[in-house]
Amino acid sequence: MDVSDILAAQAEKHKAIAVEKEIPLDVDAGFLAVTDPNPIEKESYDENVEEYLQSTARDGVQVLLSALFSLPTTSSPDGPLAQLPPPTTTLPRAKPLPKPKPPTKWEKFARAKGIQKTRKDKKEWDEEKQEWVNRWGWKGKNKEEETQWLSEVPANADVDYDPTKKARDERKARVAKNERQHLQNLARAQASGAERKQRKADIDRTLATTRVSTASMGKYDKKLDGEKKLREVKRKFEPTEVSADVEKKNNLALLAKIGNVPAKRSKHEGNDAAINVRKAVRFASKGEGGVALARRAEGKAARGKAGRRK
Amino acid sequence: MRPLTEEESKAVFEKLANYIGKNLVHLIDRPDEPYCFRLHKDRVYYVSESSMRLGVSVARPSLISLGTCFGKFSKSGKFKLHVTSLDYLAQYAKYKVWIKPNGEMSFLYGNHVLKNHLGRITEDTPEHQGVVVYSMNDVPLGFGVTSRSTVDTRKLDPTAIIVFHQADVGEYLRDEDTLF
Repeated sequence: MDVSDILAAQAEKHKAIAVEKEIPLDVDAGFLAVTDPNPIEKESYDENVEEYLQSTARDGVQVLLSALFSLPTTSSPDGPLAQLPPPTTTLPRAKPLPKPKPPTKWEKFARAKGIQKTRKDKKEWDEEKQEWVNRWGWKGKNKEEETQWLSEVPANADVDYDPTKKARDERKARVAKNERQHLQNLARAQASGAERKQRKADIDRTLATTRVSTASMGKYDKKLDGEKKLREVKRKFEPTEVSADVEKKNNLALLAKIGNVPAKRSKHEGNDAAINVRKAVRFASKGEGGVALARRAEGKAARGKAGRRK
Repeated sequence: MRPLTEEESKAVFEKLANYIGKNLVHLIDRPDEPYCFRLHKDRVYYVSESSMRLGVSVARPSLISLGTCFGKFSKSGKFKLHVTSLDYLAQYAKYKVWIKPNGEMSFLYGNHVLKNHLGRITEDTPEHQGVVVYSMNDVPLGFGVTSRSTVDTRKLDPTAIIVFHQADVGEYLRDEDTLF
């Protein structure tokens, strides 16, 4: 009996679902994603692009599907269900890390003093009731005084002294104070930003510009209530009877700074000397230049020596 | 009356340096008596320190003039030299132009200096250089700006302008009421 056909068919069937790659594919079942890190085979790619891409995609999907089918399943009326594992690929954050909050006034003080933060539980042990009660909130311990059926009245109390009301008012005042401090902290955190200051300065400058940007330089504009007068740039002059020596010194310093020769002229004439050197050279060399002049002087000296020897 | 600010001083000095170059130092640093520049009603005055101190006691609306008026500032902050500064410019001028007697009257009526009126000119004068204009017997007549350098003037035709007129002593008569 020849079973080779059956074996071959079986092998073919198994071959279809097995994917052989040099580098195994990365499967992230959580994201239903497969990454193929293998380099492209240039020959088969050049031969037929479509076919190559299709076969690569097929391999990827095959690996993914076999990974999915190997997951543990539970049965359901709609058929077996598999729970996807948590994703393994780490993705970068979409948003930047949150900025640290600016410290509150208390946090600053505590840091300066080295006070450690101690966490209080929300619940507190009540000795009388012999159970854990809330510190605040529903049936909170902070409302204990308000709910006493009997309370002590100080000797100098008013006629309409209400201990319950007093305790409640005090508690409400503490809450209000805390809220106020919270708002102050928020305001401080806002105000400390240089950005805000910059924006305020910008707005002020823009407002000042617009106020004088009409044809009458703002003279006939409608004035708003509480609009301040524009502050102009104050001119400042030296006193008239400043010492002549000081003034002379200042003027000479200014002269040195501006170089007292306009740039226009320095193009034509580099220095302010009595002799125009360039012109003198031109004249002496009969327009041939300094190099020719030097050469001629050298030649003359040599000739002079030769003459003497004779 | 007040001293010049730094920008104003700069404008004045740059204008003066165009005519007298480094001799400007001699105006500021004088051996005989300290002199200073003062601004009064947009006009710049060159005045000795002693007269300046006397002038301080005169109220601003009453003060007409003091020292030598060098020029005035335009509303846009440019400085314009007046012919009244000619005495000092002529004394320290670096580049000079002498004009023939037949050109004198033309120049004194406010015309530019033409080539055929040109008697002499300082050698190596560059173009657009502030020059002082003299008559042939060395009397300063005014000042102006050269249109060409000395070398270039040789090729010009006789009616070409050599010096652009800026101020002349004729203004003492023509602009008598606004000059000082």
